[in-house]
Amino acid sequence: MTQTTALNIIPLFVVIPLTGSFLISILGRRFKALPDLLGFFATLGSLLAAIAAVWAINSYGTLVYSVGAWKAPIGIAMVLDGLSVFMLVVVNLIASAVCVFSINYMEHYTSKWKFYTLFLLMVAGMNGVVITGDIFNLFVFLEIASVASYALVAFGTEKHELEAAFKYAVMGTVASLFILLGIVFLYSFTSTLNMADMASVLAGGKSANIILMVSVLFLMGFGFKSALVPFHAWLPDAHPSAPAPISAMLSGVLIKSLGIYALIRIFYNIFGITAEISSILMFLGALSMVIGVFLAIGQWDLKRLLAYHSISQIGYVILGLGLGTPLGILGGLFHLFNHSVFKSLLFLNSGAIEYETGTRQLKEMGGLIHKMPVTGTTNLIASMAIAGIPPFNGFFSKLIIIIAVVQAQRYGYAFWAVLASVLTLASFLKVMKYAFFGELKKKWEKIQGVPAFMKISMISLAIICVIGGVLIIPTAREMFLDRAVDVISNGSNYASVVLKAIM
Amino acid sequence: MTIDQLFRFDNLSIFVSIFIVFFSVITIIYSLGFMRKEKRLISYYLYLILTLLVSMAAVFANNLILFVIFWGFLGLLLYLLIGFGDKKRTQATAKKAFIIIGGTDAFMLFGIALIWVMTGTFKMDGLNIALNSKAAILAYLCLAAGAFAKAGAMPFHTWVPDTAEDAPTPVTAFLPASLDKLLGIYFLARISLYIFKMNFAMNTFLMVIGSVSIVAAVMMALVQHDLKRLLGYHAVSQVGYMVLGIGTGNPIGIAGGLFHMLNNAIYKSGLFLSGGAVEKRTGTTNLDKLGGLAKMMPITFIAFLIASLAISGVPPFNGFASKWMIYQGIIETAKNGNHLWFIWLVAAMFGSALTLASFMKLIHAVFLGQPFDEVRSAQNPIREVGPTMWIPMVTLAGLCVLFGVLVYRVPLKMFILPAIGEPVSFIGSWWAAPATILLVAGIIIGIIIYLLGKAVKPRETEIFVGGERVSDVPEMRLSGTEFYNTIQEIGILKFIYELANKKFFDIYEVGSKLTFGFNGFLRYLHNGVLPTYLAWCLLGMMVLFFILLR
Repeated sequence: MTQTTALNIIPLFVVIPLTGSFLISILGRRFKALPDLLGFFATLGSLLAAIAAVWAINSYGTLVYSVGAWKAPIGIAMVLDGLSVFMLVVVNLIASAVCVFSINYMEHYTSKWKFYTLFLLMVAGMNGVVITGDIFNLFVFLEIASVASYALVAFGTEKHELEAAFKYAVMGTVASLFILLGIVFLYSFTSTLNMADMASVLAGGKSANIILMVSVLFLMGFGFKSALVPFHAWLPDAHPSAPAPISAMLSGVLIKSLGIYALIRIFYNIFGITAEISSILMFLGALSMVIGVFLAIGQWDLKRLLAYHSISQIGYVILGLGLGTPLGILGGLFHLFNHSVFKSLLFLNSGAIEYETGTRQLKEMGGLIHKMPVTGTTNLIASMAIAGIPPFNGFFSKLIIIIAVVQAQRYGYAFWAVLASVLTLASFLKVMKYAFFGELKKKWEKIQGVPAFMKISMISLAIICVIGGVLIIPTAREMFLDRAVDVISNGSNYASVVLKAIM
Repeated sequence: MTIDQLFRFDNLSIFVSIFIVFFSVITIIYSLGFMRKEKRLISYYLYLILTLLVSMAAVFANNLILFVIFWGFLGLLLYLLIGFGDKKRTQATAKKAFIIIGGTDAFMLFGIALIWVMTGTFKMDGLNIALNSKAAILAYLCLAAGAFAKAGAMPFHTWVPDTAEDAPTPVTAFLPASLDKLLGIYFLARISLYIFKMNFAMNTFLMVIGSVSIVAAVMMALVQHDLKRLLGYHAVSQVGYMVLGIGTGNPIGIAGGLFHMLNNAIYKSGLFLSGGAVEKRTGTTNLDKLGGLAKMMPITFIAFLIASLAISGVPPFNGFASKWMIYQGIIETAKNGNHLWFIWLVAAMFGSALTLASFMKLIHAVFLGQPFDEVRSAQNPIREVGPTMWIPMVTLAGLCVLFGVLVYRVPLKMFILPAIGEPVSFIGSWWAAPATILLVAGIIIGIIIYLLGKAVKPRETEIFVGGERVSDVPEMRLSGTEFYNTIQEIGILKFIYELANKKFFDIYEVGSKLTFGFNGFLRYLHNGVLPTYLAWCLLGMMVLFFILLR
């Protein structure tokens, strides 16, 4: 693969899902099998492209694609660096697993083609956010993904789903507005929208209060998208109300690509991290970590419990990333990857349970492992991974985060991280106890096994949970995680690297 | 990274690993009989063998990260193995055990991180950290918490009695009674002897934990009504001796602690396996319903008797030998100006006496006394268990005798003293072999006198009270469970027992109350009203504005 070919991969991340979405919306109603096929191949294509991109940045370094051959900063640039490749792999990996799951799962909803249209639109939006090098363009993609997700939360069109979607839409719009306001201020201050250009303008000039104000707007806006406490309240309503595959997407990747990725990109690469922002991020992270898990442990609705855990786990990621040391960033990013795998797996498992039994209430389940051994086992694996039990992947990332936090002498945060981990274990053992172990209830004696595609999807994610720890073996780490860590820990180099790549 | 940096084979780990293999073999043989009719046997044996391999790896690990990976995985295996029980509360118990063990494992991560920050290495040998900074003390406590939870010392002990009651008996005999003791005390010894340099205060702390564990757990054991649960409390009490021994900080005490760890694993799994045999044949472990089994299950009875004499510290069995060493270790601490030695000694001896007392009750209630009607009139007459079950029991009972009689020649010389690596000086010698000969002679004389008495042919008849045979009047039957119930009525003890019954000392129950209290408050705040949520967002933003722009 030459450099030109490598460059031509970059727009594919938006083009493939967008085309898929377009084709499904016009042809899907007529050809019944088309939505499944197109959805699967579009996400698989994006995943393959993301894997190719890993190879590309290891050979050529940061790559910049100018849309329509207009050179940045006038035209829109798409930047492929270590961090965006990392996020692209995460997003498309989960998207393809979810797509395989949906083939069977979405059968019990009507108009599957609408689902796939919105789903691929959301994937296109997330890929766009991650790949773009232009801050207004980032906002546009963010809105594409957000609006698609509002519609998907309401997809079941039951009463509580519509209510959750309404709340989510209202609050999400408020957050988006603040983000837009922040971008307007930034544009007026720097006279450019290209993120690399903006970073070099800001690095040259003196720091101004307007940057601090924009920081607050972005902290709120993107903090909302990544569900940090106290901007988290939409999540426990919205995520459980969506169909299970969408819950998996929302908790698994949406909050990360729209929220965490954007926060990190802006604060580390554009503004340059300051001690104050760093401590605010760590504080918000620790707060989400603890509040989230305390809220989760008392829930009896399985999906709601999982949703609260997303808040808690996002807290770990932000705690690690906010720390700013290379070890902390490594831990944060690795936890981000792991969390998207095990949390989407947990949501898919909850979907499988709901598919078979029609309930999400833990108290109504019981002994399901006798009837659904695959789901039970994958759920046990994912639970152990999220609780940080060795040798599953979550253990390694939590370990790195704890070591990094202790290394920075933040013993208090380390203590809260450990405590949250204990409570996470407790609440997932509760799930296992009430849902899967114990006596099988009479009314579940007739349930069938889970359909094949759902099993394939769950098993493959479970395998990643088991072997995920290999990503920190030096060779694998240098290829994948370290590239992303470099982008963040040498945050101020972003402008020069990207501007050089444009030339 | 070479293999040397990851694994290390020293005398301590080799000693522990030999017995890990031994107990695994014993458990597997016993399970062949006990678990025969259960379901999912393939996973059961798979987990057993995995436990064996992972424990070996943990014992030989020389890298803290590697160690904690294996150690943490053992918690999961324990959870899965307890889950094979079929009692009503089994799942709750499995959950509780794993939360306590997994929770302390998480704190171990914290401790390991602290060690790494202090020394810059994860390698276990070559570390010698003085306990003179807050970080070092915190690190030691975090690691010790992991060891305590695994071994079942207070305050992380509460999973042990529950597990004993609800898990399948071979699992209890395998994990809480033998393997987890070996591992927990191995790790406690590893951190106390090698990784950290102990000081006076930390040794005293260990001795307090040990003494409290001994006395409190045995007091709880006295009033139990369930065979396995009673044994579970003794499992906690015995850990106290080991912690006490290691806490003395002198070679003889540490050797005693390690020796007691080994002895306890032997007789405690012997007790559980015999208890399991009783459960297998009678279908119950409730002491009120058992009785008079000595004639029907003689092999089980003998094995149980020997093991209970050993646990009570009756010479010449092995429990006495190791307790004797621990006592010497405690007395030895007086030389370093430790004026509290008297308290530890009294606690240890008092605990030993109460242990004997509670085993008197147990043996009476299970094997002697009158059989309960339901048990006696069962469809199939109760008979001895099959060889796959009695061979392990007899082997363990035999070891109790062997390690007690040949105490210097076999266990100490071959395993314990090499593991310590320091010369051990005995201040009060105990000539085991001559003493045994005297004891055996005494017993033989006693038997002769008994037989002589029989030769006169007195009339034998059933026990009767007020002209009626006891077996005809069920309420006249003495089960033995009530022996010590009156201690619950004594002043301050009454108060403590009441608190204990309310689970006030159970770290798990207290923790879950606190957690759910806070959870209730937070749920009250999350009322689902959109304007409230929006108000939080704005409030959060205002606070951020204030912080950044003031």
